[in-house]
Amino acid sequence: MAVERRPMFGEQQRFMLFLIAPAALLLFLFQVVPIAIGANASFRDWALYNPKKIWVGLAHYKAVLTDPAFLEVVLPNTFIFMVVSVFGALVLGLGLALLLNRPFWGQRVVQTILLVPLMVAPVIAAIMMRWMFNDQFGIVNAVLEGIGLEGQPWLVERWTAFGVILLTDIWLWTPWFTLLLLAGLQSLPKEPFEAAEIDGTSTWRVFTHLTVPMLQPVIVVCVVIRAIDAFRTFDIVWTLTGGGPGRSTELFSLYAYVLAFLNLDLGRGSAAAIIGGLIILVVGIGMYRLVDRVTKS
Amino acid sequence: MASISLDKLNKHYGSLHHAVKDVDLEIADKEFVALVGPSGCGKSTTLRMIAGLEDISGGEIRIDGKVVNHLPPRDRDVAMVFQNYALYQHMNVYDNLAFGLRNKKVPESEIKAAIDRAAGILGLHELMKRKPRQLSGGQQQRVALGRCIVRNPLVFLFDEPLSNLDAKLRAQMRIEIKRLHAQVPTTSVFVTHDQVEAMTLGDRIVVMRDGRVQQVGTPLSVYSKPVNRFVAGFIGAPAMNFIEVTVGPALAVTADGLRLMVTEPAAQALGAYRGRKVILGVRPEHLVLGEGAEGRSFDCVVEVVEQLGSEILLEARLGGTRITIARVAAETAVAAGDRVRVSAPPGRLHFFDAETETAIVG
Repeated sequence: MAVERRPMFGEQQRFMLFLIAPAALLLFLFQVVPIAIGANASFRDWALYNPKKIWVGLAHYKAVLTDPAFLEVVLPNTFIFMVVSVFGALVLGLGLALLLNRPFWGQRVVQTILLVPLMVAPVIAAIMMRWMFNDQFGIVNAVLEGIGLEGQPWLVERWTAFGVILLTDIWLWTPWFTLLLLAGLQSLPKEPFEAAEIDGTSTWRVFTHLTVPMLQPVIVVCVVIRAIDAFRTFDIVWTLTGGGPGRSTELFSLYAYVLAFLNLDLGRGSAAAIIGGLIILVVGIGMYRLVDRVTKS
Repeated sequence: MASISLDKLNKHYGSLHHAVKDVDLEIADKEFVALVGPSGCGKSTTLRMIAGLEDISGGEIRIDGKVVNHLPPRDRDVAMVFQNYALYQHMNVYDNLAFGLRNKKVPESEIKAAIDRAAGILGLHELMKRKPRQLSGGQQQRVALGRCIVRNPLVFLFDEPLSNLDAKLRAQMRIEIKRLHAQVPTTSVFVTHDQVEAMTLGDRIVVMRDGRVQQVGTPLSVYSKPVNRFVAGFIGAPAMNFIEVTVGPALAVTADGLRLMVTEPAAQALGAYRGRKVILGVRPEHLVLGEGAEGRSFDCVVEVVEQLGSEILLEARLGGTRITIARVAAETAVAAGDRVRVSAPPGRLHFFDAETETAIVG
């Protein structure tokens, strides 16, 4: 007698699997497979001029992790960029959001104008900035000289060039913070602020003791999303300085790009990319823990 | 301690919405006044103008004789309890209570003493370390009351503080607020849409409608001598019955199936209305089921019987009018469809002009 076997999945489950199959397939083909190929490449000597793909174990990882350029320039640059750019855009964004949160004449117009940078492609913004800070034709030096100060070779020195990169990124991302924080502010209940007003609270104390703590969940989520995003910034740095002068403004993503696609050393480039991926994984997990803690408390 | 005067107080929102119209009100020192009315009647707006949370479009507000129209809330020395408590969610109870005093840089030892006193009055000692979200609605509202007490302000303002509580808790908090006012006598203005709260808490109540004050008086005077049909219907539960009647000759009013004698003073006041229609008002609790003399009673048909255990509430029909009869003894044998006789004592009848709806008083 044939024993009837129970199918592995019920009808409903099979239907659900059928529905998610296309997405799962796409995810597999375009995320899992490339990562696997990249990970495989990172253990092999593989360059366009040397396509034999000889297994070298962790040699590339060792090379990247002992590369002074990576340790002393690229990593510090990346983290300084992450912290300063995110913090700068947060502070400015919060300031603007607070200003926009109170009604005034022409508020709508101001709000729209403030959001314009969101609509500018980062590469375009970077090109604009490069011209503005050009040491011979740039408007910044023209203005400085016009008021009797000395023009600076902005993009030729490490820290001024890095400053311009940070300025560009903050300019690009402040409206994003403004938009989200403004939405957060407008969703806060009105009464605690009225109670504080009646309790005779100064504006500064309202800000530090009510607005910021009440807005904290929104702030933390914004910072986490933006910080992880900032870690992989490529376009504005590539356009503004190309990582120069020398390699002094290189961020992590440029470092991997240069190795893999300019030096065509795909093995080492992959190793650098994987190392970066692991770093952001650790940072990301830490930050999401923070989000959890803040939103639960 | 302070008195409050509202003088021709007005509030416009834009050109279309006139929320508060010429409100005049004198509130004595330590008095507890309840502003009551249906939603949108301007009572909350009036309170918020006293607090300083709304600009004043016209008129004057004086606290303790001082005009406060242009003072910000913090300089008016008032404290306010909100409908949704408005506690600072991220601070524990102690910090919530201390917040207002810390604003004024009061030394911590004094703050602690003030909080101890308030916590004693309101029974908050156990809750000090908790955050508001860990408290029940009633506990949160007690903390909100505590936040007012510790500041020892000139005036307490209550904006529908009991509306978010369930019925049982509301009754408890009502008593608590009453007890609080006895222990810490402070001039208080209490806004509510619930006439029971207004009646039980207020030394005087102010009935408002469409931005205007309808009547000001003690709970009993407003209940027994309403100045118009609106106040008569709004105050008292279940609501007063209204029957359209014609003023006949010889101390009587008549309607379809109804002929009632009126008192001598009422008859005099109704003299001018002879032959015309007026509105007769009689409270459900003043109607008595059972035999009644001719001219003091009428017949009606029971439609719904509501057995409350302690009493029966009857919905009955008299001609085209629905009337409610309250305080019918719970044991009474009565069923829907029964024809019953109801007596209405002449002294308990109210009359209102059919057009202006103002009371016709003898």
